[in-house]
Amino acid sequence: MTRPPELIYGVDERPPLPIVVGSAAQHIALMAVTLVFPIILAREAGLVGNQFLDLVSLSMLGLGAATVVFCLASPYAGSGFLCPAAFTAIYLGPSLFALRQGGLALVFGMTVVGGLMQIAIAPLLRRLRALLPPEIAGLVIAVVGLTLAGLGARYSLGLNDRQRIDPDYVIVAGLSLATMIVLNVWSRGYGRMFCVLIGMIVGYGLSAALGLLEFSKAMPPGGISIFRLPRLDHVGWSFDPLLVVPFAVASLAATLRAMGDVSNAQRINDADWVRPKFASLAGGVSANGIAVVFCGLIGSCGVNTYSSSIGLSGATGVTSRSIGYAVGIGFAVLAFLPPAAVVLAAMPLPVMGAALFFTAAFVFTSGLQMITARMLDARKNIVIGFSFAMAVVADVYHEALMGVPFVLRPIFGNSLVLGTVCAVALNLVMRIGVRQRVSMRLEPGRIGFEAVEQFLTQAGARWAARRDVIRRAVFGAVQVLEVIGAPPGGVEIEASFDEFNLDIRIRYAGAPLTVPDRKPSPREIVASEDGERLLAGYLLRQSADRIQGRRTADGAEMTLHYDH
Amino acid sequence: MNNSALSIGETRAGSVCVVTLAGRIDSSNANDVMAALTRLITAGEKSILVDLGAVLYLTSAAFRALLVATDEAERQAARFALCSLAGHVRELFEMGGLTEVFAIHESREDALRQLG
Repeated sequence: MTRPPELIYGVDERPPLPIVVGSAAQHIALMAVTLVFPIILAREAGLVGNQFLDLVSLSMLGLGAATVVFCLASPYAGSGFLCPAAFTAIYLGPSLFALRQGGLALVFGMTVVGGLMQIAIAPLLRRLRALLPPEIAGLVIAVVGLTLAGLGARYSLGLNDRQRIDPDYVIVAGLSLATMIVLNVWSRGYGRMFCVLIGMIVGYGLSAALGLLEFSKAMPPGGISIFRLPRLDHVGWSFDPLLVVPFAVASLAATLRAMGDVSNAQRINDADWVRPKFASLAGGVSANGIAVVFCGLIGSCGVNTYSSSIGLSGATGVTSRSIGYAVGIGFAVLAFLPPAAVVLAAMPLPVMGAALFFTAAFVFTSGLQMITARMLDARKNIVIGFSFAMAVVADVYHEALMGVPFVLRPIFGNSLVLGTVCAVALNLVMRIGVRQRVSMRLEPGRIGFEAVEQFLTQAGARWAARRDVIRRAVFGAVQVLEVIGAPPGGVEIEASFDEFNLDIRIRYAGAPLTVPDRKPSPREIVASEDGERLLAGYLLRQSADRIQGRRTADGAEMTLHYDH
Repeated sequence: MNNSALSIGETRAGSVCVVTLAGRIDSSNANDVMAALTRLITAGEKSILVDLGAVLYLTSAAFRALLVATDEAERQAARFALCSLAGHVRELFEMGGLTEVFAIHESREDALRQLG
């Protein structure tokens, strides 16, 4: 892992305490925006007074615990990166559906089921990688970015049922957003690191001045105390097999988003990132499942990794894992302080809107970067393009799509779920006939390295192979040709590709190459061409994931294998 | 002309002779690189900087050419350095365990500050 120069504090570094506290406060403020989802659930369930505040407080406890588990660098659970948690629209649709079918108990019970499904998927991720390639995770992240931007715009404009814009909301959101942008782009140090938090504080101040900050709405009738142990009076659990499908889809979408977010966190922390590390992905997904089970058990709704917070860590350059633990402690403390629940529950909508809109930009572009890290061929263009379009269609034609049969509504009613289902299904179809093979023949006396480079590069582009893998394959083929020289019968080169494997076979009249384990010394390399051959063999062994030479009836065959 | 064919450029920055290599370097052209570098060294250049920023890839023949030039520079008491190794080219140096063998600078500016 190569530390990118723009990072101020990397994942394994421990910043000074004031930075930890300030960064954690900023993440808490941003994550608290997503409390809107359990708040919506609580309002739909008709909870009021202390039960309403209990659900908010327990949801804060859930966010804190989830963030700690997500950040753990353990072989059993945790991504090992700063990976804060958030309540998510992914689980909101199925949760509201469950609420209508069987009340809060069914919501909490099925949330536990959703979490267990994620725990079950986690160890299978490597085997499922053909079905869930990084570009689909990138698509999920990009759609989440668009969803956040849409939600942010709606809150910022103060749109009401008649689609009228509220000028006061625009003033608060506009100035909050401008503060965040100015600090992020044109300031350094604390200004850049705490741009979102400062922007939100500015938003709270402006909201108070314009009468948009109403703590009274979140207050129980009998007032609140400073400290209170949240009660579980509203909590119970029940299950319904009919709801397994929507919660399974939500689990899959949450898994893909977690994979995308953890991949994004890996990418932010590694300048040389080219592919996701599966141990960290599996740890993140497993942690996500544990956190969802925990939230279901304490009477809240499903959580997921938080693309906005990961975008924030990239924007501020502070990605230390210790910030995640501080966030956990912070939320655990806030969960026992009802005034905090009131302050967060009363967060003005335009302040939420500005924070969501700001971070959405980073989330969206991260998703695009993950999609375009691979060459896009016709198959991937269809998978990504159609699924992205379907996600947008789900938002634009929401009312029309809600006319689908009842059981399909959780899929068609949510842009992220529809985009994800579409991408996974299309990806499966597009895998038909995916293994491809091409070959070329170099006649004796006409062995040109340039032709080999062109041949492999063009094949790589057709197959949408990763550029870095094709570069290594070109090097490998040219290096083999360089050592074998000009064999009398010419050379045949065959390349085969199936998305996860690239194999280059080079056949010629002669003996297989010697591929040494030992690195030749500079003196040996300079002394003779034999030394150069030793270096060639050593470089081939190092650059290919596997190399094998064997005798054939006509001469020799060298096989270079590259994981893809 | 193919855009990956080797090109060798020479410029001067104060007392340093900067050799800019671009394209592919393999056994078909490694001797050209070796000849160009040894010519400069034997002509009396005392500071030579080879900029590899535009090199697409290089093979063992290219490494040998650079090592021979390094040896020649040592014999003539000249300073010989490389700069701007990026991406796959840097990976190849690392794979071959050759980053310690050469004097390598991150950028041309860095190198000129130290050599000039």
